[in-house]
Amino acid sequence: MMHCKRLVASAFVATLMASTAPAFADFWSDAAKGLEGATIRGVSESTPPSNYVKDVLAPAFTEATGITVEFEATSWDQMYDKAIKDMEANTGIYDFVYIEQDIIYSYLARDFLVNLSDMMEQNANLKSPDFDISKFTTFIDNFKNADGDVFGVPMEAFVKVYLYRKDLFEDPKVQEAYKAKYNADLKPATNHAEYRQIAEFFTEYAKENGMEMWGTTVQASSGHPASVYEFVESVLPTYGIYNWGIDTQTFAASVENGGQMNSDKAKEALTWWIGNLAYAPPESTSSTWDEVAATFAAGRAAQGLVYGENAAWIATNADKSTVVGKVGVALPPVEAGVMEQAKSGEGYIGYYDGGAFGIPHSSKNKEAALLFLQYIGQESVQADWALAGSRIVHQATYDDPKIVEQDKKVDGYYTLMKEQGPLFRGAPPFPFHNQAREAMAPFIYQAITGELQPAEALDKAAAAVDAELKNLGYRK
Amino acid sequence: MRSSTVGWLFLAPTLVILFIFGVLPFLYVLVIGFTQWNSFAADPTMQYNGVENFRRLMFDDQFLYSLWLTLKFGFFAVASQILLGYLLAQLFMRDFPGKGFFRTVHTLPLVIAPIAVGATWRLLLVPGLGPVPYYLNQWFGYELNISRYIDQAFVATVVMDIWHWTPLVTLTLLAALASLPKEPFEQAQIDGANRFQIFWHVTLPLLKPAILATVFIRLMDALRTVDEVWMLTGGGPGAATRYIGLHIWRVVFPKTDYGYGAAMSLITLYLTIVMCWLLYAGLVARRDLKRAE
Repeated sequence: MMHCKRLVASAFVATLMASTAPAFADFWSDAAKGLEGATIRGVSESTPPSNYVKDVLAPAFTEATGITVEFEATSWDQMYDKAIKDMEANTGIYDFVYIEQDIIYSYLARDFLVNLSDMMEQNANLKSPDFDISKFTTFIDNFKNADGDVFGVPMEAFVKVYLYRKDLFEDPKVQEAYKAKYNADLKPATNHAEYRQIAEFFTEYAKENGMEMWGTTVQASSGHPASVYEFVESVLPTYGIYNWGIDTQTFAASVENGGQMNSDKAKEALTWWIGNLAYAPPESTSSTWDEVAATFAAGRAAQGLVYGENAAWIATNADKSTVVGKVGVALPPVEAGVMEQAKSGEGYIGYYDGGAFGIPHSSKNKEAALLFLQYIGQESVQADWALAGSRIVHQATYDDPKIVEQDKKVDGYYTLMKEQGPLFRGAPPFPFHNQAREAMAPFIYQAITGELQPAEALDKAAAAVDAELKNLGYRK
Repeated sequence: MRSSTVGWLFLAPTLVILFIFGVLPFLYVLVIGFTQWNSFAADPTMQYNGVENFRRLMFDDQFLYSLWLTLKFGFFAVASQILLGYLLAQLFMRDFPGKGFFRTVHTLPLVIAPIAVGATWRLLLVPGLGPVPYYLNQWFGYELNISRYIDQAFVATVVMDIWHWTPLVTLTLLAALASLPKEPFEQAQIDGANRFQIFWHVTLPLLKPAILATVFIRLMDALRTVDEVWMLTGGGPGAATRYIGLHIWRVVFPKTDYGYGAAMSLITLYLTIVMCWLLYAGLVARRDLKRAE
């Protein structure tokens, strides 16, 4: 009898699945008629969210549509190099490219990207009923033009948070030692002086206790732009210097011309940041965002500013991280008055990063690429993707039971992103993003190696950016 | 007449390939070198700007520093390779147990792609992960950090280049040594010359053409080194290993300053040719001139 009931139940479930699955898959197979067998190629940075697209979403899309996806997940430098060359030369190698929030303004200025809103409007048969722009978080606004048309489908968004070793911060012995030394309670730093003090404490504590650990991570690669980004996007704002210290009206960088890149506050910020190297592991001067996450995951740092895309795996993946269950999440430390500016919308306290996939004009398979972009933009795929890459681009993903559960394991990272996200901001809308960065980079590198003092480095960096922007015809 | 036509026909495929992949790109770079062209400028179109790029280069501290650094790198790397290569070639001229095995192992770096060489050395030397800094610190208390100390980074790139390319020098000089006539050496011995005199007055002059050819090849290679160094240090720390090839790459690709980058390439090519010519004139032509007198 029991066996019979199970059989009936199984048959019912099977019938239900058989009746619903084709209906769900109908749009994709219908829309892809005539496109089966096509191959679309995309390029992205090799990150947890991108790798999820490559390993999970792309094969699922192929199964649903018959369109093959060749997904190239490569280094950040190579990704830009390849995408820009392809779009510049109009070769059409890539049908979709990764657009980081900070580069979109350069791409739009060059008219590299297809207007997705227009394309969906003009091709009603290709518009998925499960793709709804209104379901995205406000992060999608970064990929719109002045008319509100969308040029990229967000695939990742996260904030660069302050991670700390919760287990150590809450260890009574450690707390006691800290109290004895500084006559203060050990808690996540809220300002730069506290942060430095904690870094100093843990570096010495680790040395005394024979631990391979230092007080802080620093994303201070002395030959890679990652260090420039940490300084301009995560450190300068916490000192109240916004938009890299470049005036958004006149595009001047130096104080002499009306910018703030070499202001006293900026110099104070660089001095503090460079000073942290004394309490950071030796790999810090070769660390980009990936190595910073790896350093923290290896238990080699007590605290640090870490890109949110890494928060989930650091806190939950025991195969890759030695600090599972030991991670605390907090807002970055700031100078007095900066938090108030951020809350009022005048300023911000850190970097709200992320990216989207867009279709270059040079693509030879725009229709197939549009289907793929909508496929990854569906609400149904968002939660599992968020679990794999701690990225959220849909408002509803925050309330998904899987995410709510994981949020507890990552010390409320998603809650912080949802509630405090507005305190963070993306890169300024400069069409000369790479050019300004490359102009100032050599001097930041030289400050890291000690060849230049921070003040001298910023004076030279600001002058170089001014000269570069004048040469490019942007300076007013 | 007929044989001449057949000869040209045989040459034609090579000439066509050379024209398409050698001459045309060069002409293209030549044209771009005289323009202002940055695809992310306010005006992204290509505009003729005369010799402005070349004038700017003469006052560009970063370019001049890269150039100087590259010459320093080339000097140390090539001089070391010639010296080591010669000593190893002399070693391989003698018989010793395991010679065949040692020669094979010694030649292996030559077959490794430069990017893989850079990656391997990076894994060996990167602080926090590489075994070399770890053991140097454990055993000798020496702090090796090629991403922080500029001298260490420079030396690391030179040593890597020596490791990679000394086998080429060894093989070239070994072939040259093996083909030297015996008579001059026998005559020198009969005349009572000691080993140093034989080396200085017989071996070295006879090897000079091979050494010069090797120096030219290695020097030109060293001046355009990019991939190995890019992988190992990324041009850092600071500008410590930002050799001219890497500097040009940064100007042309991340900065997308095509006009200025093209001008840099042209100047670098010109300087390489001039330097090789000066070397040739100083070491070979002068001797020929004396003979003529």
